[in-house]
Amino acid sequence: MAADTPAMVPPTPWRLFWVFAWINTVTLGGGYAIVPVIGSSLQKRGWVTEDDFWDIFARAQAYPGPSALSTAMLSSIKLCGFWGAVAAFFGVVLPPFLAIILVSSLLTTYGSLPAVKRFLAGAGAVVPGLVAAMVWRTAKRRSWTAPRIVEVVALTMLLILFPALSLPILLGGIVALYVLEGLWKH
Amino acid sequence: MEALNVIWTFFKIGIIAFGGGWSVVGVIKNAVVPMWVDEAQFRALIAIAQSTPGPIALNAATMIGWNHGGFLMAIAATLSVVAFPVFAIAMTTLLANKVSIKKDPLNEALRTGSLAMMLMTLWVLRPVSLDPIMLTFAIGSFVIAAFTKINALWAILGAGAINAALGPLLRSLLGI
Repeated sequence: MAADTPAMVPPTPWRLFWVFAWINTVTLGGGYAIVPVIGSSLQKRGWVTEDDFWDIFARAQAYPGPSALSTAMLSSIKLCGFWGAVAAFFGVVLPPFLAIILVSSLLTTYGSLPAVKRFLAGAGAVVPGLVAAMVWRTAKRRSWTAPRIVEVVALTMLLILFPALSLPILLGGIVALYVLEGLWKH
Repeated sequence: MEALNVIWTFFKIGIIAFGGGWSVVGVIKNAVVPMWVDEAQFRALIAIAQSTPGPIALNAATMIGWNHGGFLMAIAATLSVVAFPVFAIAMTTLLANKVSIKKDPLNEALRTGSLAMMLMTLWVLRPVSLDPIMLTFAIGSFVIAAFTKINALWAILGAGAINAALGPLLRSLLGI
């Protein structure tokens, strides 16, 4: 019987911290890359089921901010309450913070070397390509309806025309889109 | 006052940082260019933020804070950008079951909103020079990231390494 039910290590805030700190140190490539890694390492430890995890992730996407942060915090609240959330917060935030401080210090020292400058210019040049690819992939996945096309175009135009008003445009926009989504259904 | 400006700017970015990393980059750019970094520095900063571990908005905040006022400013900017998301998680956890928002229309609204943010990001970060080498990097990285499963990290590091090692040679061969 013991072999059928392996003794799972129970979740504690400290363990949650290390799990998230490790994931956030070794996973590169943003939210879309990291969320499945969070899911599998929590499931592997028997702390959440697959269904529970995707349910948490669906809720996490409704929050602003990195989905890695909201997913980690919501699952940790479920497992360990307040201190779980604190542990998840530091686990997600601390490793990238230290990595950026390290890279930035190196750039302060070596950033003026011609080869480093060329490296940064080349790396920066791919940014439009990566954004375009993300637009392409997201647009392809979307289930498009005529109202949604109009909504995306209108909101994009507003954001481009009034760059200083991004905050009110987006907050108003999300509320309007929420109401409209309800209307089109009927 | 400069510190307060950084904190307030990133706090506001945190409120509207919806939908995956890339959608928020345009909003960050509008807030920090040309006030704190120039166009080319921003593109390099985003490339670095994307190729180091951690969420892009968080990394960009840390970096701009660091460049702008050192370690303490880096901490302040980082905490500012996550302040509202953490507050939202805390509030909804405390108020669980007391407020109900229909999840499906909200998620659809957020998808539409974040796609619009991505398109705006694409517009503000469109290639600025017609330099053939830089345009080749942009097009090549689009093809890799859109049609292959290769991690975008390799496109960033690859373009950087090629330009660092071969940039002057390529330029002299092309006569530019």
